[in-house]
Amino acid sequence: MDSLIAQADALRPLSKRRKIIREGPVKGQKKAKTPAQDETSNSVAQHTSLPKSLRALDPSPEDVPKHAHITNPKLRSHLTRQSTQAVRSKVLLKDAELLLTEDAGKMEVEGEMDRTWRIDQAEIAKSAGQEAAQGRREWKLESGPYKSRYSKNGRHLAIVGKTGHVATFDWKTGTLHTELQLQETCRDITFFQDQSHFAVAQNKYIYIYDRDGVELHCLKSHIEPTRLEFLPYHWLLASVGNAGYLKYQDTSTGQLLVEHRTKFGTCNAMAQNRHNAVIHLGHQNGSVTLWTPNLPHAAVQLLAHLGPVVSVSVDPSSGGRYMSTAGQDGTVKIWDCRNWKGSVREWSARGGSGEVEWSAKGSLAVASGGTVNVYTAPTIHETFTAKAPPPLYLTHPVPHRPLVSLRFCPFQDILTIGHSGGLSSILVPGSGEPNFDSSEADPFENKKARREREVRGLLEKIQPDMIALDPEFVGSLAPPSKLTTAVNDTHNTPFARLPRLEKLRVQGKADETEVGKEDGGEGDDSGKKEDREVREKRKMRGKGKSMKRYLRKQRKNVVDPTAVAVRAKLEKQKEERRATKAAANGGGDGKKASALDRFKRSKA
Amino acid sequence: MPPHPKLYIPLSEKKDTGISALALLPRSHLQQIMVKISVLQHATSSHLPLRPGDPTPTSRNLDPLMHPFARPRERTRALNAAKLDRIFAKPFVDSLEGHVDAVEVMCKKPDSLSLVASGSWDGGLIVHDLGRRKKVSSVPRSHKGKVSGLCFTGSGQEGRLLTCGVDRTVKLWDMNEANDVEAGPSTGRKPLKIFEGKSAFNSIDHHRTEPLFATASNLVQIWDETKSAPVSNLTFPTSVETITSVRFNLSESSILASTGSDRTFTLYDIRTGKAERRVVMNMRANALAWCPTFPTSLLLASEDHNLYTFDIRSLASPTQIYKGHVAAVMSCDWSGTGTEFVSGGWDRTVRIWNKDVGSRPEVYHTKRMQRVSSTLFTADARFVLSGSDDGNLRIWKARAAEKLGIVTARERAAMEYRESLKKRWAVDATVGKVLRKRHLPKPVHQASNLKRTMLDARRVKEERRRAHTRSGENKPKAERKKVVVVEQT
Repeated sequence: MDSLIAQADALRPLSKRRKIIREGPVKGQKKAKTPAQDETSNSVAQHTSLPKSLRALDPSPEDVPKHAHITNPKLRSHLTRQSTQAVRSKVLLKDAELLLTEDAGKMEVEGEMDRTWRIDQAEIAKSAGQEAAQGRREWKLESGPYKSRYSKNGRHLAIVGKTGHVATFDWKTGTLHTELQLQETCRDITFFQDQSHFAVAQNKYIYIYDRDGVELHCLKSHIEPTRLEFLPYHWLLASVGNAGYLKYQDTSTGQLLVEHRTKFGTCNAMAQNRHNAVIHLGHQNGSVTLWTPNLPHAAVQLLAHLGPVVSVSVDPSSGGRYMSTAGQDGTVKIWDCRNWKGSVREWSARGGSGEVEWSAKGSLAVASGGTVNVYTAPTIHETFTAKAPPPLYLTHPVPHRPLVSLRFCPFQDILTIGHSGGLSSILVPGSGEPNFDSSEADPFENKKARREREVRGLLEKIQPDMIALDPEFVGSLAPPSKLTTAVNDTHNTPFARLPRLEKLRVQGKADETEVGKEDGGEGDDSGKKEDREVREKRKMRGKGKSMKRYLRKQRKNVVDPTAVAVRAKLEKQKEERRATKAAANGGGDGKKASALDRFKRSKA
Repeated sequence: MPPHPKLYIPLSEKKDTGISALALLPRSHLQQIMVKISVLQHATSSHLPLRPGDPTPTSRNLDPLMHPFARPRERTRALNAAKLDRIFAKPFVDSLEGHVDAVEVMCKKPDSLSLVASGSWDGGLIVHDLGRRKKVSSVPRSHKGKVSGLCFTGSGQEGRLLTCGVDRTVKLWDMNEANDVEAGPSTGRKPLKIFEGKSAFNSIDHHRTEPLFATASNLVQIWDETKSAPVSNLTFPTSVETITSVRFNLSESSILASTGSDRTFTLYDIRTGKAERRVVMNMRANALAWCPTFPTSLLLASEDHNLYTFDIRSLASPTQIYKGHVAAVMSCDWSGTGTEFVSGGWDRTVRIWNKDVGSRPEVYHTKRMQRVSSTLFTADARFVLSGSDDGNLRIWKARAAEKLGIVTARERAAMEYRESLKKRWAVDATVGKVLRKRHLPKPVHQASNLKRTMLDARRVKEERRRAHTRSGENKPKAERKKVVVVEQT
């Protein structure tokens, strides 16, 4: 028996020894054996090493959140372990940056008086590598101002002319996928998850075509659409039209998910935040609204311009933190999406402003009049009170007005400008993200990889009701609520929401609540108690309710630990509230200053 | 500072990599602007396969901005993993028939992965081969009345089986397949040896190394295989109980434990030849099993619907209570890893428990399976066996959604990823619900509802009673402290 116990002790000693009734000699024996067990572990330790994967990575990082408010120790340690790992992996992510193979493009001048904007496209193209120089192109096309859209991996370009010329092609190899003459007004075009499908906002409805230009669907519920956006991780096609309805169509199931009435009339400016899938709309009355499918009203509404909003764009380089808007009044404004109190920066563009567009690396292109100006981070985000534009990085004149679309090509230093004479793409060094991730978007993917990605994308489709302003709310802990009566996880509802019976139970007895109403200070407890007893005696006299009094006394003897705890907690909360109120009023002792205070006798 | 020509050395000497050459650009019409321009350009050679047939190279960028919605997507993946887990949960493998009456006991051969013997109420005795899912050999009426205990003798002797019955005999059988022609009922098979006892036997277990075995009747007796009378009798001095089961410790093989019908379990040492310790509990235990990896850990299947693990170093309270069955637990067996165990009960379910988790076990049931009287974990810890009142021996997977057969490396990696996803997102409400939800047969479901109602009522009553007694007089007692009534030495 003892040898068995010794064996177990060597494996895992009982941490907290409970009291065991045993005879004396047995106890003595035990004590003698404890060092032997250490010897065993020492002898083992020399020849034992944990595998690297099981070893603790010390030192453990500093800024790990302690989940102190969680009572369950198992859950708490689990959460702590998880957050430690998260912090660690964040640190390791920084190391992984060393492994990135390609560098971003750039344009830098030497002299102090030199400016990058003086360098024109011909020079940039001349100095760029042979392949990069291919990005500088001019497409001379007849049918009206053109709009364009790149696919997610930046390899394919879809263009649509006002009068109905639609084409999709691989711009790098010059392979034309399809070319259509639709013979009616077309206002916008967008690729779906990849180049295999695209949607065109035509005169009356939205039409969906496949890669070869075969019309697959006519979405009759989207009437007179003006702008389209495709949310790639949710597989949603969002459209807004002349009637001012924002409609979401689920492209994987085909159902019209929801339609929101914006109540602002025709809408011509739309953008998506790629990091939280919120749709930004710019309206005719100068307001900008933010929409999610699960809210029937705008999540945010702000008056951005005095006049119609022409264009909206969200900065992908800062995780959707900044938004830029351009108004008909010729001003361009930068907004901080976390704080809507006024713009971060605003300036008026010469020649009236048109489109705005952010690139993946945070360059902002503004089409104003007949030129396209490009500004770079971080000067765009810096607050600047004067209404002056940030230092110009690059400018490019386009002789064909109006300029109706600006699109940066993903993973390239290319900006494509759509105008009445066709399209022209210019080189903007430093605007594109140099390192792509093959699991997200790969410009060089083959057919098999494209199919694989499509299936994976469908499997990982995020439900539309998970769209919110903060995309990180999924999987994060709910904040501990302050105004609950939670004791031992029994009452999780706020006190005000408890049913009346429960409230009374928590409060204890009726007479106690009466006291609570009356009491002013807390100085004389005993005197008050006597008072109450006297009062009660008086009250009861002659009313023949001795039975009631007896029952109340009986009830007083009932000690419910939860009720007591809840009562204590409520008292504490009340006290805290009182203290904060007092602190807010300024007085230390919490009494209101009176005009008569000046006549008070000072204590000294 | 006047601009002057300067020679720039390119940062890297790459020839066909992405970034174009740095350039010196003299401007003629204005003053000379010295400018460094580099335009992003992907090298096709590093992103396309070199030869046809090569895998396409992939590149990674771990910048979180490149992976929007990482958490919602991971949650979706976890939800899919949880759902796949339930979709593929098909635990039933096979049912081995052959017994005429209810299966009472089963035991596995210590050194074999596939040989399992089972005994039934009509005295039938069958050795099954799990791999081939066939009967190896059988004895139709080995005992008069039921076969109440079975065990293989040590690994040295090939295929010897000890059985005990309520007919007050222990028999030693040679169950070699070679002697048996294609599993036909060998009526002519005679036991090698018969040990006569004084009262009906309830359980039997063989010593790990010595040729000794222990039987349980109204006392624990130790027998030598070569002698016809018991070597020694072990009993607790004041005991008048019927011993229901007896098991040798797996590590310290001279220690044995028994459970009795008078709500006790007792520890004996055959070297001292006496009972060392006895614990009286609230309800009797029906079966016991020693943990194969942790020598002092003992598992009890109790009549009060629960299972208990005890550390015999501190018998005052169990180390863990396992609640889940809705009727008496009739049998239990550890997995070889010592992290899991299986139990079968009167509620017609087989449950698989994690050692550290006291609730929400995996539940197996079928329409045709009746009360489960014996359960076993196979030696490779991948399968679970149950013997039930309907006379069948069923084979179940220990992990319900596990794929049997060859698993490729990629498949394995995907499965491991899914496992870790499930573990990480189990706290999420939706994912957790999918993972936890088990469909139960209606009677079991109703019984568990009824049980919960009763327990709640009991708890409320206790709370009210406490509220109406003088404060501090009646303190709540931890559930673990309620189990053991008294510990005797």
